[in-house]
Amino acid sequence: MTATTTTPGSATSGAALPRRPRISTNKVIAGAVIVAMAGFAIWSLAQIDFSLYNFQRSMLSLAKTIRLMDPISFPSVPDLVYLISLTLGVVIAGTVVAAVISMPIAYLAAANTAPNRTSRVIGRAIGVITRAVPDVILAMAIGLMFTLGATWAGVLAIGFHSIGMISKLFADAIEQIDEGPRLAIRAAGGSKAQEFWSGVFPQVFPSWIATALHRFDINVRGSVILGFAGVGGLGYRMYIDFQQFPQGFGPALGIAIVIFLLCVATELVSSTIRVRLLGAQPTRRTLGDALMRQTRGRRKTTTAATLSTADLTVEKAMRRPWNSSRVSSTVWGWVGILVVIGGFAMSRLDPNQIMWKYVWSTIMSFWPPSTGAYDTQTFVTAIVQTLQMAFAAALLTFLVSLVFGSLAARNIAPNGWVRGAFRVFLVIFRGVPELVLAIVLIIITGLGPQAGVLALAFGGVGLLGKLIADSFEEVDAGPEQAVRATGAGRLQVFGSATLPQGLPSLLGNTLYLLDTNIRSATVLGIVGAGGIGFYLTVSAGLTKTHPVVSAIIGIIIAMVLVVEGIASYLRSVFK
Amino acid sequence: MKSTTTSPIITIAGLTKDFGETHALRDVNLTVEKGEVVVLLGLSGSGKSTLLRHVDGLELPTAGDVTVLGQSLPALRPKALRKLRGRVAMIFQQFELVPSLTVLENVLTGALSRVKGPRLGLATWPASLRREALTHLERVGLLHRAYNRADQLSGGQQQRVAIARALMQNPDVLLADEPVASLDPESSDVVMKLIREIAAEDGLTVVCSLHQVDLALGWGDRIVGLRHGEVVLDTPASGLSKAAVMEIYGRVATTTTELTVIERELLADAPRGRDAAPALADGAAS
Ligand SMILES: Nc1ncnc2c1ncn2[C@@H]1O[C@H](COP(=O)(O)OP(=O)(O)O)[C@@H](O)[C@H]1O
Ligand SMILES: [Mg+2]
Repeated sequence: MTATTTTPGSATSGAALPRRPRISTNKVIAGAVIVAMAGFAIWSLAQIDFSLYNFQRSMLSLAKTIRLMDPISFPSVPDLVYLISLTLGVVIAGTVVAAVISMPIAYLAAANTAPNRTSRVIGRAIGVITRAVPDVILAMAIGLMFTLGATWAGVLAIGFHSIGMISKLFADAIEQIDEGPRLAIRAAGGSKAQEFWSGVFPQVFPSWIATALHRFDINVRGSVILGFAGVGGLGYRMYIDFQQFPQGFGPALGIAIVIFLLCVATELVSSTIRVRLLGAQPTRRTLGDALMRQTRGRRKTTTAATLSTADLTVEKAMRRPWNSSRVSSTVWGWVGILVVIGGFAMSRLDPNQIMWKYVWSTIMSFWPPSTGAYDTQTFVTAIVQTLQMAFAAALLTFLVSLVFGSLAARNIAPNGWVRGAFRVFLVIFRGVPELVLAIVLIIITGLGPQAGVLALAFGGVGLLGKLIADSFEEVDAGPEQAVRATGAGRLQVFGSATLPQGLPSLLGNTLYLLDTNIRSATVLGIVGAGGIGFYLTVSAGLTKTHPVVSAIIGIIIAMVLVVEGIASYLRSVFK
Repeated sequence: MKSTTTSPIITIAGLTKDFGETHALRDVNLTVEKGEVVVLLGLSGSGKSTLLRHVDGLELPTAGDVTVLGQSLPALRPKALRKLRGRVAMIFQQFELVPSLTVLENVLTGALSRVKGPRLGLATWPASLRREALTHLERVGLLHRAYNRADQLSGGQQQRVAIARALMQNPDVLLADEPVASLDPESSDVVMKLIREIAAEDGLTVVCSLHQVDLALGWGDRIVGLRHGEVVLDTPASGLSKAAVMEIYGRVATTTTELTVIERELLADAPRGRDAAPALADGAAS
């Protein structure tokens, strides 16, 4: 290299001029997309009536409700045991069904195991479609195939809907395996099936379990709303109590408290299993990443498994010793089997409850999709309203999470107490199922999108705040120290070193939140928050209007696909 | 070359392999007789792995033919190819054991081509095969580790498990792709000796790639040198000295820079590749 001295303006030696690097067109487009999305979010939030008057009115209605309702009460103990076992049973059975079906679908979808391109597309499409159909809608729609009070609809709806997430994360995990062992099995003459079961499956098994457990948590929360579709359990009892307004508000709140505790308990159990048993590290960036990467971590090594070397023979070695690792894997294996069997037993599925003569006609009633009695205008308005809810909530969540998440991050919080306090806040936020919150809020503020937005925003803070805290903690500490060394204050270090580094994952996590918000906003419409979900509820209960359901589901799939497309585009640009 | 009455175990004729713009192998001709122990010597990127992968049917030639145990690989149907792969065992630089399975299960995967359908868990294997796998573990001196997870073992031990897995195939041919490149000198010694012993006892035909002349001399019967995907050296190893090998490489090397690189690569277990290849190109250009 020759050294060139550059003087500003000497255009002749253009190549050597230290010019500002040109911004790629992709960055410009991506930036515009983000600005447009942020603009839409701000507009959406502005549209929603958070005025003082509205607030006062809500407070008055709350006061009135509290005055008129029965005191908060809980069901009797046997009743409670029955309800909890029914809810857990339905969720376990549904999640297990989904986890099993997800395996072949993930096999078809993962780039390294898919037999061909078509199977990949099919596998991924099944994932997207099952994810886009809200379980509660499915439960309402197929409820017509079963006798009243049957749990089939709940199990099948959870089973169907959960395939989307489990198969996607499982396929991602398959794509991340170490190909070496698999190649070794191929080199030894193994068939495709043998390659999978001996070379791939042992590597992804922990991630499969972790994903299923994670989905189980989500489904326990979701079981609340399944009650609104007539699926027995805690949610259904709460729904019945709410029908007797305002007196029933007390017992319903009692159930809400039970559900909250159940959610916290299951999350504690499943995250303990994930961390302890599967060697997962609890702090990770996005949920997807988290599950995939955490399961790649190895278990602590124990050398206790070694056979005693003293006159060891092949015959002696034929008997596997009962060392700690064998004991623990056997015990956990049986616990798993018992939980699955117990889950199905508790779900009280009864073949006699299936009304076979309606099965086929119900399935066929969804085809062809049609807007039915509604005109396009109605649909468009409803869709915009749902999107507004999702975007407005995402914006609120983002703003609050940025503060909460930052203060919960070790490298930003002024001291350990602040960090600890905000971490606890976030855990509590996550613990409240947003649907319980939405129902409560709707009763307080009356029907409408305000309640929906608040419920979504509240639930989102728990998730996004935690993800933000984790991603800030993971940034490289070097630049922070460098900025601090220049004598910068706490906020300056945050602004110049921490935030710029955490920005890409901040963006990714917010897009992920938006994605889940769109689905949740639809579901909130079902409990009265308006939007497209309202029309789903109205149409799902009657065979005649099923074509509207499939039309709306088509629209939801399209919306989710568009958001996913935008998200993956933005991620690729700002990597 | 030796002339024998029996037909060769491996015949490679005019083998060329391109990966897009990269010419990994160019017109390679090679014959390996039964019981021969051949060392493939070459810098990293010279095509050793690619050549070995062709012998196990893991790659398809761009041009030319590979015949193993009397069967032409490119023409084989999947089922016959799997059967043939069962008779050709392979050992890898990174061992490639399934980390979460026990050592015994890993050895048993060597018998997959002998059983029908997939296997999951020790109980799904017949006792006779389990006994056989334990015998192989005893042979590589790791019987006491049979029920450990594979990732609890040291590198040298893992490679010995990989050898046991290879033996589980009852192979006719053993291919080894830089089997000791990830091991410390002591474990390297153990593993190289083990391969040699087993080859002698079982009458295996062995092709083993290495990048260190020191290791290759006195280990193999025959040394085949690869450079830029071409065979530049093919000679019996007996009586061959380091100087002689270097001399042959010296003749094929066109510049002193290239020679320095070869020396650095082949004689020491210095960090390999990457920086060496561009240096070679630079030297050739100047
Ligand atoms: N799957 C592949 N795709 C593209 N290029 C490859 C592939 N495998 C090998 N190559 C290239 O072929 C050449 C020979 O590689 P390899 O056989 O791995 O050499 P060696 O084992 O001697 O280090 C290298 O230039 C390498 O980059
Ligand atoms: Mg190689």
